[in-house]
Amino acid sequence: MKTAKGERLLPYFLIFPTFLFVAIFTVYPTLRATVQSLFRQRLNIAKFREPTFIGLANYVDLFKDPQFITVLTNTLIYVIGVVPISVVTAFLFAQIVNRKLKGIGVVRLALFHPSILPLVSAATIWMFLFTPDYGLFNTALKLFGYHGPENWTANPRLALVAVMLVAYWKNAGFYMIFYLAGLQNLPAGVYEAARMEGAGPIRIAFSITLPLLRRTTLFVSTIAFITAFQAVDHVFVLTSGGPSGKSSILLYYLWEQRFVNLDVGRSSALTVILIAILLAFTVSNFVLSEQKEAGDD
Amino acid sequence: MKRLWTILLACALLATPAVLFASGQSESASGGQTTIEVYYPVAVDAPIAKILDGYIQEFEQANPNIAVKPVYSGGYADVKTAVQTTIQGGGTPPALAVMLATDLYDLVNADYILPMDSFLDKLPNKDTYLKDFFPAFLENSRYNGKLWSIPFQRSAVVLYYNRDLLAQNNIAVPDSWNSLGKAAAALTERSGNKVTRWGIEWPSDWPYWLFQPLAIGAGHNIVGDDPTKVYFDDPSVIDAIKYYNSLSGTYKATPPGVQATWGAVPNNFSSGNTAMIVHSTGSLTGILSQAKFNVGVMAIPGKKTGTYASVPGGGNLYMLKGVPEIQQQAAFKFIQFLTEPARAADFSIQTGYIAARKSSYDTDVMKSYIQKVPQAASARDALQYAGKELAVQNLGEVRTIFHKYLQAAFNREMSAGEAMAQAQKEADKALEPFR
Repeated sequence: MKTAKGERLLPYFLIFPTFLFVAIFTVYPTLRATVQSLFRQRLNIAKFREPTFIGLANYVDLFKDPQFITVLTNTLIYVIGVVPISVVTAFLFAQIVNRKLKGIGVVRLALFHPSILPLVSAATIWMFLFTPDYGLFNTALKLFGYHGPENWTANPRLALVAVMLVAYWKNAGFYMIFYLAGLQNLPAGVYEAARMEGAGPIRIAFSITLPLLRRTTLFVSTIAFITAFQAVDHVFVLTSGGPSGKSSILLYYLWEQRFVNLDVGRSSALTVILIAILLAFTVSNFVLSEQKEAGDD
Repeated sequence: MKRLWTILLACALLATPAVLFASGQSESASGGQTTIEVYYPVAVDAPIAKILDGYIQEFEQANPNIAVKPVYSGGYADVKTAVQTTIQGGGTPPALAVMLATDLYDLVNADYILPMDSFLDKLPNKDTYLKDFFPAFLENSRYNGKLWSIPFQRSAVVLYYNRDLLAQNNIAVPDSWNSLGKAAAALTERSGNKVTRWGIEWPSDWPYWLFQPLAIGAGHNIVGDDPTKVYFDDPSVIDAIKYYNSLSGTYKATPPGVQATWGAVPNNFSSGNTAMIVHSTGSLTGILSQAKFNVGVMAIPGKKTGTYASVPGGGNLYMLKGVPEIQQQAAFKFIQFLTEPARAADFSIQTGYIAARKSSYDTDVMKSYIQKVPQAASARDALQYAGKELAVQNLGEVRTIFHKYLQAAFNREMSAGEAMAQAQKEADKALEPFR
């Protein structure tokens, strides 16, 4: 009897540390931000230093603010621009390096190394590459016949592209690793059969490799999506959201509201919006994939 | 038995954070010693951390009962963020922090900092001590009749010019907007369509600071004595924007639009690829160590011939609220130590910052340094033309607004007048709660 009770309690004991961790570092801050987002609190305005309840006013103000709309649009462009291209590139990279050739290790290293660098260092290197006039990036582009504007980080039409470019360069190699691992686990027999049937490499990629790697793609696109929202360091280094706020994305804007403008209420509202977006994506991604799994079996 | 193990394991896991926490706390206050923390930004190239470590060693030898623990954390913004997160998270802030002089109002309003008057009052030579600081540097220290910070690593906006190039081309040192534009145009070199040397480079990636001398030089600063007022739509400010744009448009002597070149410009200048640059005095040491030509340093020429302008910048020493009294006293002692004339002189020589105290320039070490490096005196002399650096209530928001529209005007997305009218309107709204 005694043992049975102990065994029943055991799982709770085992998950307790994790539960405690999640509660302290995820659940509590989320709840607190949600509550704070309903209050007006400006630390640098003496009369608004103590929180006052204002309902949803922070949210209403945000959606009336053209800068916030710009930030949302930028974030959308950023995510849509960075995630699919990084994932597709990662898949292609994996195809390239998944061969037994001499010196393939060097190629793998070259493609993977950007993801080892801290984002700040990577952005600092790119800052140098982006230098107008003599920057390596412009010099390289000229070889391909580019004669457009060279001032990447200060041009209102290019600044966001510059930020996206760094994120893309940084992440594609990292996602490649997952595809590479996936590719190496695929059964060789299927490929042999396909080749005997006379399927070309493109047919093989679309009809065999991609379907078999669907779970990898799901995983990679999920982390790519979340990373796109979380990574912000390069914005600080490259553009500070400028010029004229044209390269500001959600997390940078949040930091600015909280630590530059000392606006606790508004930054909490932004936190809630960010969490809502991520949660909506993760849940829908999960539901969709579960459905598909169920349909397959 | 199994159950016992489980409980033990759970207890051990639970206890871990507590143990870690306790071990983190234990190092302060042992054996009658006071430990103070100093949060410190390492924003410029000079090996600041090493220099400061040296001062701390000296200080600790002279004051064996005080230990100083420096925390170097990125730039100014990082220090401010660190202070905020510590205080808001319920932790004990550092006794001392170097933050921007312009952070004053935010820090007072948020109730983070301690006025220094009660400590200064105990000094036998309070008045002479304060009067010895350059007035331009103390401008952002006073508020509500109290003194909140002591100038420490201070700089100013100056024009660096290649003296040799000017002489070779028989161009006089510019003394007005007009002559500056002409000199810059004459010194710009092109081969075909490609520019091989710019006449002038004037970074505008974080634009308000380097822009302010233009507004002052046109006749009106963007900020005045009232911390709830800005003058973004003043005709002088609009004039200044038009002049900045004319350097690329009319004179074709600088790259068009916003110039995201703060980090690159000192190198462009010292390698001879740019004839003149506008930058911080903080870059002086680096530029002098690399340039193979005569470097001239001066305040920015104004609109009228013979007028000049500059703005101070940089960080002050702040004491934070919420640390024990004994640490506050130790911190103030360390402030006095850091600002002793000879030490301020040494700091200036090693870093290129302007020594915050006038008497530093009477010390022998500084005198002989200036004999060798007269540019250091020119940097200091620019201060006499300095107006107030942008510091107002709600600074972060107001500055972001100004940056947004200033850059829009630089990039020709809006006309100067349009942009500044909008900036003024939004800034007035941001300042309304303080009026």
